[in-house]
Amino acid sequence: MVVVADAGILYGLIAVGAGLATGLAGIGAGVGEQGIGAAVVGVVAEEPGFLGKGLFLMLLPETLIIFGLAVSLILMFAWTPFSAIVTP
Amino acid sequence: MSRVVVAGSKDVISPVVEKLHELRLLHIVNYNGDQPEFELGKPIGKAREYSENLIKLRSVTRYLDMKNKAPERTYPESQVLSEMDNLLNNVGGDVTATFERITEIEAEIKSKQDQIKSLTPLSVIPLPLEAYHGYDSLATFVGTAVTPVEADVARVSPANEVFTGTAKNATYVAVFVPVEKASEVSAVLSEHGFSEMSVPKLEGSVDSAIASLKKQYEDLMLATDEYLSMQVNKSESPLRFAETENAFVIDGWVPSDQYSRLKNELESAAGGKLDVQLIADKEAEELVKGGEDVPTKMDNPSIVRPYELITRLFAIPEYKEFDPTLLIFIFFPIMYGMILGDVGYGIIILLILTLLKKRFKTEGWQQLTSLFMISGIWAVIFGILYGEMFGPLGLWNHVVGMISHHEMEMLQNAGLFFGEGTFGPLGRLGPLGIFPLYRLATNAVLLLIGVSLFVGVIHCSVGSILGIKTELNYGEKKHAYFERLPVMLFQVFFGLALLGLVMGLMTMVYISVAVIVISVVMMVMGPEGAMGLAHVPSYVSNLISYLRLLAIGLASVGLAYAANQLSFYVIMPMLSGGATNSADFSIPAIIVGIVILVSVHFINILLGILSPFMHPLRLHYVEMFTKFYSAHGGGVEYSPFGHVRRFLKA
Repeated sequence: MVVVADAGILYGLIAVGAGLATGLAGIGAGVGEQGIGAAVVGVVAEEPGFLGKGLFLMLLPETLIIFGLAVSLILMFAWTPFSAIVTP
Repeated sequence: MSRVVVAGSKDVISPVVEKLHELRLLHIVNYNGDQPEFELGKPIGKAREYSENLIKLRSVTRYLDMKNKAPERTYPESQVLSEMDNLLNNVGGDVTATFERITEIEAEIKSKQDQIKSLTPLSVIPLPLEAYHGYDSLATFVGTAVTPVEADVARVSPANEVFTGTAKNATYVAVFVPVEKASEVSAVLSEHGFSEMSVPKLEGSVDSAIASLKKQYEDLMLATDEYLSMQVNKSESPLRFAETENAFVIDGWVPSDQYSRLKNELESAAGGKLDVQLIADKEAEELVKGGEDVPTKMDNPSIVRPYELITRLFAIPEYKEFDPTLLIFIFFPIMYGMILGDVGYGIIILLILTLLKKRFKTEGWQQLTSLFMISGIWAVIFGILYGEMFGPLGLWNHVVGMISHHEMEMLQNAGLFFGEGTFGPLGRLGPLGIFPLYRLATNAVLLLIGVSLFVGVIHCSVGSILGIKTELNYGEKKHAYFERLPVMLFQVFFGLALLGLVMGLMTMVYISVAVIVISVVMMVMGPEGAMGLAHVPSYVSNLISYLRLLAIGLASVGLAYAANQLSFYVIMPMLSGGATNSADFSIPAIIVGIVILVSVHFINILLGILSPFMHPLRLHYVEMFTKFYSAHGGGVEYSPFGHVRRFLKA
């Protein structure tokens, strides 16, 4: 088996990738939520009864972070293809 | 719910209204005046007087800053009635007068303060303040002047005394002349751009017995408020009825099992001059189709009732819909516990809640605290499963026990490491000894990913089953079997396929994939047709969304871990000059370490109240409710005509 790269570097790259996955997903969800949040605050100011429905809409984009996080978790804990390459 | 019509002679409208109010059974449907034969009703009795008194009372209670609170004592109606005059006119008058005086004094204080500000420059004139006042034959002019005034004042009034001084770019003058020359001097002064100011005589103090007055009358006032509101409500109720010249008609909904009671009570109250009729289901359905809402009465056991708060925040269930409160009661606290899962945090939250429950007696607070209490108990239970007491590296290993370092290394090498804590002498429990589960261990994270997904599968399936049931209640078979059912099949077998992949059971994977394909075909055959396929990714994302049960928990564990690590393994050794043994830590190092430890844990507890609350809320609202709830729009809550007495004795 050919050693492609140093194990430490590979693990470091995986960690960077995992960080980017969660971080960028978080930014995306934040951007999505800001518009909805502003609109919901406007609606609730006029009609307090819409708080629950507003909350529902505001929480929709949150799943995005979880996707990012799922990718991170897989990278950090369950990603094994490199092991064959790394172990000489 | 049954739809009833109450019709009677106008002679008996007062006793009937009185009885209805007392019974608290009829959810009145307002008459909108669209039928030419019937007019809108007119208020009965002393509606105006009651309203006026109520407004008077409300203004007094507002002055006294009385908030709605839990009653300390209650009053019979007769006492309220007899003390009302005294309360409104004497006590109320006093309070209003006092507060008006306070407002006046405050305004005065304000103006005095302004004056002080402007008068401060007067100090440049060498006169004491009392020298400006109290003359009979002298006129005093004090103010600013643009140009020197002495010469001109002396011209019109030979007898004079003028003082000047300069401060802040302005010239201040004090002119004393005989009274009879006052007008001439005034005219002369104005030529010099004189503007007068008054010299204040400050005195008086603000003293009030308001606090004791409030204490003495608070409950009685609130009782009177209640009485008057009740009376206004009663006397204005005919506005919601339909009326003819001699009769009135009330439409309304009543719980079906209470109909005969309503009928008997009303008819005996009216002495026969009234008829209560039940409208047949078929006719009632016509009315519902015409836009009338059947009110929903949420009926839950008292332990579940706090969770109605969460249901209500979203929407009141429609009459034929399932009330999801019971499900929230089951799932919500478990999810909360699964996320927070820490014995220490759980106990602290329970303590705080107990304090809050004792301190705030109003209904809203009681409900909110009960809601969190049950969740807190689950947090403690999951804390025991996770072996966490103030985070990993926290108290658990020292208080309850842990395995030896050697054993731990063996487990790690074998890939079976799930944590190092034990249940005291019981050791590690569960298959492969997974409990107490150390949530930051790789094996535990993978296990929890699976558990979270399957919590999701169960949660969503319950939602789908209810969706099927609701659709069948509305008689929509196609929606039930080809829209709701495939979703459930898809999600359940998606979970099973993943499980099969992980466990290497390929037969299970093949069967699951086959069912998934069938469910997709069913979706295409459903009411939405091929468009239904567009929703498929969202069914997968629904399930992945449950990973937050693990993720939010990991964030909280991570912070607790960081707090402990920072304090015991970084700050304390560092400040003790590199000592590694805890016995060698210096006192200041321990103090700094503990301060950091406590503050980070405090922040974590605050977050631990908020996010484990918000995220299960979302899982309910977005993932579960969308499967069955409010597919037909929100409902109307059953609010019978009447009043729950709080400050008044029944």
